[in-house]
Parts: sequence; C-alpha cells; structure tokens
Amino acid sequence: MYEFIEYVVRGALLGVTYGLLAFPVSLVFITTGSVDVALGAYTVLAVAVMYFVGGPLGVMLAIGAAVLAAGVVGIISMRLNRPGAVDHLIPVLGTFGLATFLESMILTNFGTAPMIRQPFDTFWNVFGIRISPQIGINVVICLLILGALYFIINRTPFGRAMRASAVNPTGASLAGIPVRRIWFSTYLLGGLMAGIAGVLILFTTGADYSTSFNLTIWGFGSAIIFGLRSPLRGFLGGLIIGVTQALCSGYLPSSFSTTVPLIFIFVVLAIGKNNQIAATGGRV
Amino acid sequence: MQHGLLQRLRPAFVVALIIAVLSPLIAADAFWLDNSVIVAIFALMSLSAGMAYGQAGILTMATAAFASLGAFATSILTVHYGISPWLGLLAAIVLPALLAYPTARGIVRLSPMPLSIGTILLSLVLEHFVREGGSLTGGYVGLSGIPALPGFDSQFSFHLLGWALVVAVLIFYVNLTNSAIGRAVRTAKHDPLRATADGVNVANILASYFSVTAAIAGVAGWLYAHYMSYMGPDSLTMHVSLRIMLMAVIGGATTYLGPVLGAAFLTLLTLYLPAAETQGMIFGAVLILVLLVTPNGILGTNWVKLLTTRKNADRQNHRRSVA
Repeated sequence: MYEFIEYVVRGALLGVTYGLLAFPVSLVFITTGSVDVALGAYTVLAVAVMYFVGGPLGVMLAIGAAVLAAGVVGIISMRLNRPGAVDHLIPVLGTFGLATFLESMILTNFGTAPMIRQPFDTFWNVFGIRISPQIGINVVICLLILGALYFIINRTPFGRAMRASAVNPTGASLAGIPVRRIWFSTYLLGGLMAGIAGVLILFTTGADYSTSFNLTIWGFGSAIIFGLRSPLRGFLGGLIIGVTQALCSGYLPSSFSTTVPLIFIFVVLAIGKNNQIAATGGRV
Repeated sequence: MQHGLLQRLRPAFVVALIIAVLSPLIAADAFWLDNSVIVAIFALMSLSAGMAYGQAGILTMATAAFASLGAFATSILTVHYGISPWLGLLAAIVLPALLAYPTARGIVRLSPMPLSIGTILLSLVLEHFVREGGSLTGGYVGLSGIPALPGFDSQFSFHLLGWALVVAVLIFYVNLTNSAIGRAVRTAKHDPLRATADGVNVANILASYFSVTAAIAGVAGWLYAHYMSYMGPDSLTMHVSLRIMLMAVIGGATTYLGPVLGAAFLTLLTLYLPAAETQGMIFGAVLILVLLVTPNGILGTNWVKLLTTRKNADRQNHRRSVA
C-alpha cells in the first residue's frame, strides 16, 4: 500500500508539468476552435536555449524564444483560421508544419544529445518518499501560474473578452472586442506556458530534440481526457496521466510503461462523451 | 452528381499516360527507377491518407502504422512460414482493415482534433507491438531477407507493378467517391446530423471507409516490404505518417491526383536536400507556404480564379494609393 501511495504521489508530481502543457491546449481550443500541436516543440526549444545559455538570462531567452515561436504560429494560424471559418483542421496542419520545422531546427543546431541539469544534490524526505526540491519548485510555480490564469480568465475584462471571442466571435467583434488580437494573445500565452514548462523540464526529466512530439502527446492526452473545452480539467487530466505513467512504470514491465497510458487515453476517448460531436450523442 | 465513365477514369488515365511516357526514359536508369518505385509506394499511402482526410474528414496519423502492419503481415508469412507473397498480399489487405474498423468505430464520433489524436495513439501503440514482437517481428533488429515477388525480380517490373497499383487504387477511389457510399461519407463528414437524418449510420460508414483506407495503406506496406526486403521498427513510424499527410495536403487532399502529386513532389524534393536533419525544416516550410497560398493544396485550388482575384486586388490597392 505504501508503495502504491509513493507511485501515486510521484505520478501526480510528474503530471503537474503535463497539466501545465494541457492548459494552453484547451485555452487555444476554446478561444480559436483550433489547436496548436507545436506546443511540445516550443517546450524543447526553451529547454535547448536554457541548457546552452543558463542563468537568469537563459530563463528569459528560453521563455522569449518559446513566445516568439508561438507568435509566428499565431500569425500563421490566424491567416489560416479566420473567425467564422468552418475547417479548423487547416490551421492545425499549419502548426504541424511549424512543429516539424522547429524539431528539425533543434536537431540541426543543438544535436541529438540529451539536455538535462540537476541543480540539487540533496533530496527531501516526505513521509519516507525521496523528492527532489526541484519537484517542489515545479509544483509551486505551476500552481501559481494556473491560479493566476484562472483569475485572469474568470475575473478580468481580458478574460471575459477571451471567453466572448470563443463563444461567439462575430457577436464579440460587433460588441467592439478585438477578436483577432485576443486570439493572437492566446497563442502567445500558450508559448509563455510552454516556455516555463521547458525551463522546469530541463531541471527535472530533461529532453532531447525528439521529446517535442512526446510532450505534445502527453499535453494533448491530458487536455482531452475530460474534454478539450475546460483548461482546469485539462490540468486534472495531466495529474491522471502522470499517475497512470508512474503506476505503469512501477507495476508493469518497462516496455509497457509508456504504452499502457496511451491505451488508457484511447479507451477514455472511445468511451467518454466529452469529445464527441453532439450530433452523434456527445457534448461538443 | 454522376459523371461519365471516361470522365470518372480521367485521373487514372493521366497517371497511366505519364508513366507510359516516362517508363522508356528511365528504364535503364537504376537511380530513377528506384525513386519511381518509392514515389509509387508513397503515392499509395498518400492516397490512403487523402481519402481519409479529404473525403471522411479524418486527419489520420496512422497511415504508416497500417502500412507497417501490412508489411509485417507479409514479411512474417513469407520469411517465417515460406508462404507465397501473393497470399501475403491478402493478409496485408485484410489485417489492417480488420484492426482499423473496430478501433475507428470507437473514435469516429469524436470531434476532428481528438479523432486525430486517437489515430496518433493507435499508431504509437502499433509501433510498440512491432518493437516488442520478439522473434515474430524481429524486435528492435527487424526482419530481413523478405523475398522478392515471383515474376517481379527487376526494378523495372517493380516500377510497373507499383504504378499499376496506384492506377488501380485511383479507379477504385473515383468509383467509390461517385457511389452512394461516397456521397454518404461526404455528408457524414460535413454534417453528421444531416447524415443521421438521411438514415446513414455515421459511425459505421466512417469506420468502414477508414478500414478501406487502412487496407490501401496495407497494400503500400506489402509493396514496400517486398521491394526493400527488410522491415524494421523504424521503417514506417509516426513521423512517416506525418510526412504522408503533408504529401496529401500539399498536393490537395480533396482531389484524386493531389496525393500522388504531393508524394512525387516531396519524395523528389528530398533528393536535393543537403542533409537528413534539415529535411524537417524544408518540409515544414513548404507545408506552411502551401497552406498560406493554397489551403486546399496545389491541385485543389482554382489557380485562374486565385490569380485573377489577386491581380484585381493589387489594381484596386494601386488605385487607392494613387488617389
């Protein structure tokens, strides 16, 4: 039982980072009706910049690079996804294009070597569970960011404008809300969160050029478990994915530790109603 | 709308004519014959992806996984059990279709993006089973010594077979699209509620169509395995699926010939790229450029209308700036 609790705790701590990536996935979806699959690539770009520059300047440059890349995607996506557009898959393909571009750019410039830093030599002992202080820092930063974003979305005029742009872009536009500017800000916000996640991942699990796709999958998996339309439920999805991964790593042969969580997401998608089209009995 | 037989078969005629003209020119050139076979294999996979996305609205990232399934089916039968590659073809068609139907049945009711993620998950799980397949799939080493097809022992014959399969799939695709099933699939894609009201079982018809596209990918995998004579866990991965989708979209996923053009364009483009690492940058940039200029792909765009509209817009802007 103690072992089980340890896996659950470790998984939840790991899932915090996935939750941080799931949040912008849902945010972009509810605002623009599209998704940004280049999020994992921004994260790895931030990891690479932070790894090679380091220090406070590295943090700023890493987050800045992720926001800049997200800005480019935002511009491209808005060219492809005008308010009222029917096929939201075209801009998704555009973000696939940029994700491919960024992954190749990271491979060309930074190589294939894993990028990781271990800032702490000592570990905390929490009820017998060894936890790196870095994990504590990750949890605090993630919770602070999510709290701030929850406040911005639900309690500020900008958040109301964002929600209005999501529900009815034409109506919001007639009411004087700059819908396209709001959409663009959402992409930048996604880049900001991916950049922060990248800095935290460098000091936790590390990454290499090929990690971007996995991060995108785990971020998306987290976001869609309880339905793409709720950023906060996406964060909860991140925790569940993290716990599932930790339990699979603990109790299953190593070769199945990454596959079973994928099957888990697939089954949840297949039997859940949260992502199904309303016309076929779902809620979207 | 019903079309005449000749008009319906036009895409297949176009491909057959181009191959008839090119074949004598490259018959003695091993380099171009090799590339021609590769283009034909990718054209088959790209047609599979184009059908799924262009007709059924399923942005599939599992095309290479189904091709891999077909390739391993024939490889296992021929290498381990000495069974004829022609029976391997049957397995390469049936197995992907049998797997695709029940899995698609579970996820085709999803909205487009989660549906696409579902196909990615399917692809990653299949990749895992290939890697962990032990002596059956060859595990991390893969299977080598896959026999060539009886009667197709030269590159030129493979080239002809590959393009004959492309023409056959095009004829099938055109006829399917113009049938009642094709119309029902398109209705289900654009308006599931309307399709349901028309008496169409949306989940069933989309899953069936998806399994047909998986079978076509399986044929491509069969050809790939017997041409390369080796199948490994890294031969047909998720990244290949992404590249195949790029081919279909760049050429024009809603058109018949678009996926074939996209496959030829991107495969031949790689011949002139400096290094494998930088290929992603070129592919990504080309995709973005094509989507920005022609969101429906090269063959899905009315170029005359596009250029005329742009020219008129330029004239109006010029007049405004002069005024």
